[in-house]
Amino acid sequence: MKDAVYVLGGEQTDFQRNWTKEGKTFMSLFREAVQDGLEKVGLTPDEIKKLNKQNRIGVFVGNFDAEQYAVQGHMGAFLTEVDPCFYGVPGARYEAACASGSVALDAAQTKLRSKDYDVAIVVGMEIMKTVSSSVGGDFLGTAAYYEKEAKGVQFPFPKLFGKLADVLLERYKLDEKRYMGALAEISRINYANAKRNPKAQTRSWFMNKEHANARGGEFNMAVGGRLAITDCSQVTDGAALVVLANKNYAEEFAKKKGTKLSAYPKIKGWGHRVAPITFDAKVAESKGDKWVLPWTRQTVKDAYDRSGLNTKDIDVFETHDCFTSSEYAAISAFGITQPGKEHEAIEDGVIDFNGKKPINPSGGLIGAGHPVGASGVRMMLDIYKQVTGTAGDYQVEGAKNGLMLNIGGSATTNYVFVVGK
Amino acid sequence: MREIKTVTVLGANGTMGAGSAAIVAAFGKAKVHMLARDVNKAKEGIEKAISSIKTDTIRPRLIPGSYDQDLEKAVSESDWVFELVAESYEVKEPINKRIAKARKPGTIVSTVSSGLSIARLADAFDEDGKKHYYGTHFFNPPYKMILCELVTHAGNDKKVTKKLGEYLAKTLGRAVVYTNDTPAFAGNRIGFQLINEAAIKAEEYSDKGGIALIDAIMSGYTGRAMAPLDTADFVGLDVHKAIVDNLYEMTKDAAHSTFKLPGYFQKLIDKGDLGRKSGQGLYKMTKTPDGKKEKLYYDIKGDLYVPVPKFDIPFIKEANRRIGEADYIGAMNIVKEAKGLEADIARYFIARYVSYSLSLVGEVVETKEMTDLAMGTGFNWAPASAFVDFLGGPKEAISLITKAKLPVPEILAKAKAGKPFYQLKDILDARSLFKG
Repeated sequence: MKDAVYVLGGEQTDFQRNWTKEGKTFMSLFREAVQDGLEKVGLTPDEIKKLNKQNRIGVFVGNFDAEQYAVQGHMGAFLTEVDPCFYGVPGARYEAACASGSVALDAAQTKLRSKDYDVAIVVGMEIMKTVSSSVGGDFLGTAAYYEKEAKGVQFPFPKLFGKLADVLLERYKLDEKRYMGALAEISRINYANAKRNPKAQTRSWFMNKEHANARGGEFNMAVGGRLAITDCSQVTDGAALVVLANKNYAEEFAKKKGTKLSAYPKIKGWGHRVAPITFDAKVAESKGDKWVLPWTRQTVKDAYDRSGLNTKDIDVFETHDCFTSSEYAAISAFGITQPGKEHEAIEDGVIDFNGKKPINPSGGLIGAGHPVGASGVRMMLDIYKQVTGTAGDYQVEGAKNGLMLNIGGSATTNYVFVVGK
Repeated sequence: MREIKTVTVLGANGTMGAGSAAIVAAFGKAKVHMLARDVNKAKEGIEKAISSIKTDTIRPRLIPGSYDQDLEKAVSESDWVFELVAESYEVKEPINKRIAKARKPGTIVSTVSSGLSIARLADAFDEDGKKHYYGTHFFNPPYKMILCELVTHAGNDKKVTKKLGEYLAKTLGRAVVYTNDTPAFAGNRIGFQLINEAAIKAEEYSDKGGIALIDAIMSGYTGRAMAPLDTADFVGLDVHKAIVDNLYEMTKDAAHSTFKLPGYFQKLIDKGDLGRKSGQGLYKMTKTPDGKKEKLYYDIKGDLYVPVPKFDIPFIKEANRRIGEADYIGAMNIVKEAKGLEADIARYFIARYVSYSLSLVGEVVETKEMTDLAMGTGFNWAPASAFVDFLGGPKEAISLITKAKLPVPEILAKAKAGKPFYQLKDILDARSLFKG
């Protein structure tokens, strides 16, 4: 892709925090995320003021459902509450369910490629612990076709992804025990990875494969067909920020920092596809296809094509493991295995932290947490950390190129970004 | 250090014993001999362990036993013997003698004592035993409170200490704080200093709201999930007494007088009013005639329980508002500038906490990060160093401490301005501990 977009860095909040329990609101979450992120990148209020005067900077906020969780809309305007340097800076909120962060990233990169702006501040945020898990589950149901798939259903998404588990099992005629064991292993890996990530929600939680495999009963309740609690990502409060720039500014910034432009990774490729919104329509459409989620696969292919890279070139993946079944399906979408053979990669340790194609060294959504509107931005931040060698204890050695897959709904909105130096 | 595959837990029926055994069995995948006075008690401990960590998968690894029947055999096949019996030399020393006889060379033996001398307890062992003897002070409840103070004494081997520390941190997921063999170690020495001084001040201001007033002043905006006297009630007044009596006897630092147990504490203990575990202590929950829950506090002068009033203290409201908006420096500025008795008390205790925490560096711990980690993960209290930053830096913190007529710790006096004083930001977000 021409007109490169660079990632200058960013920060995330500690996903372990419960802001409501702390007596703090979405605004506090937003404020801390933005202040920490800009400080980490080294983008000062004076610099933002200067860029704004020249109309070179914009703000892109990914958020799914602040209206319901925080009784507040218009999130794109909220940077003005963080610092007066944002007065006048164009900003808007972008929404695509759990892919809200990615649609914000996409809007930002488009503006940078077209040179409408030179710098984009992308924030993803969601505060979810303001309500009980059943009320929150109902809110999340609006990411599906609410009337048909969620109305009156307790925890609709575990059920939809439980159905995905069923379809994968049936479509590829998998051995059930082996398949469920592979899903348990996905859970184990994500929790184990999260223990290295100081910002992960579950970093001090207990999990092992034995427990993940012990589905049912009071300690690992079934919540969606075959799926139990350990197959699910958690309800999370959190926000993440990244700063993107086109070459015009990235060069300036590098000079200011006394470094080279090559110190910053680029968005090398991207993909964005929307599948039929209901899960049943997805399954009906994909009958006879090699992939159960063909549009997810197509999104990955689009990103590979745009970047000129392929599976073999990707050193690290961050995927949307809202449930173990979604990570399972992603393995073949990435091209790591053929569809129906994903469990082999899992069993052989290919996707493990020290494997050939590590997935979710951060812990992913299951381990690191899933504040829905923030997840896409958090993934971008983690890929940035990996390819710049700044991921600390969860650094994948020698990672040069990374890929993230962020999905909204039941794999309805699919977003992929490939980032590397 | 040997790989830890088999562990013996003594005192496995208590909350701490069962909770710790659960951690070792779950995170460490170890086989755990759960020993108690009798097998039925040990079996109760197994159920407690399972429910504390919420996984049935550890059940096959938990083996019940009694001290009389099973201690020697269990110890002889263990890589780690974790002793959590009652907090006294009289109970621990005879058990240590039995452990010493039964243990194989290289077996780690540790105690969860919160105040006794580790070196003295190590005396029951031969040279190899002394080398492998530690304090491993877990906090309650162990699954939620991840702090482990690893207490060393002069007879330890640094290589073993390092390996044990790594095991506790990496395998068991503990926040490991290395402390010297000093009374109450780091967490309890700092925590109970503040709690006991709060109890003393509650008596001083008993006509103004006493216990309830002090807790209202020391609430969430001062960086603690639970107010100090509520904490004393939670841990039990008898436990509080044991810790502060020991500190009063064993320490002679600048805070010495603040470890003296107030008379009304003793009075409550004598009556059996030990706190939450006995139904009432400093507080008592009751129901109003219309069936609503009501919290009462102990009126020291009147020797009776009265409803906790809703204090209207404007600076606290404003500080809470600032914290609620993630303006931590703004909240501390409000505290610094507020007028009146309540503000004086708030400033005094913030100053005391910062002063005392940092004063232990060198004696109890090697670095201030150790005291910060201990308070953040063992008490859920905002670390002292984070206060220094939110107060505006070392100079401002020193000014607050000087005004409170408290000693300025050397580490603070030597700190450079303009640099963040709190260094654990990426491990423990101190802001999360301030409640708005």
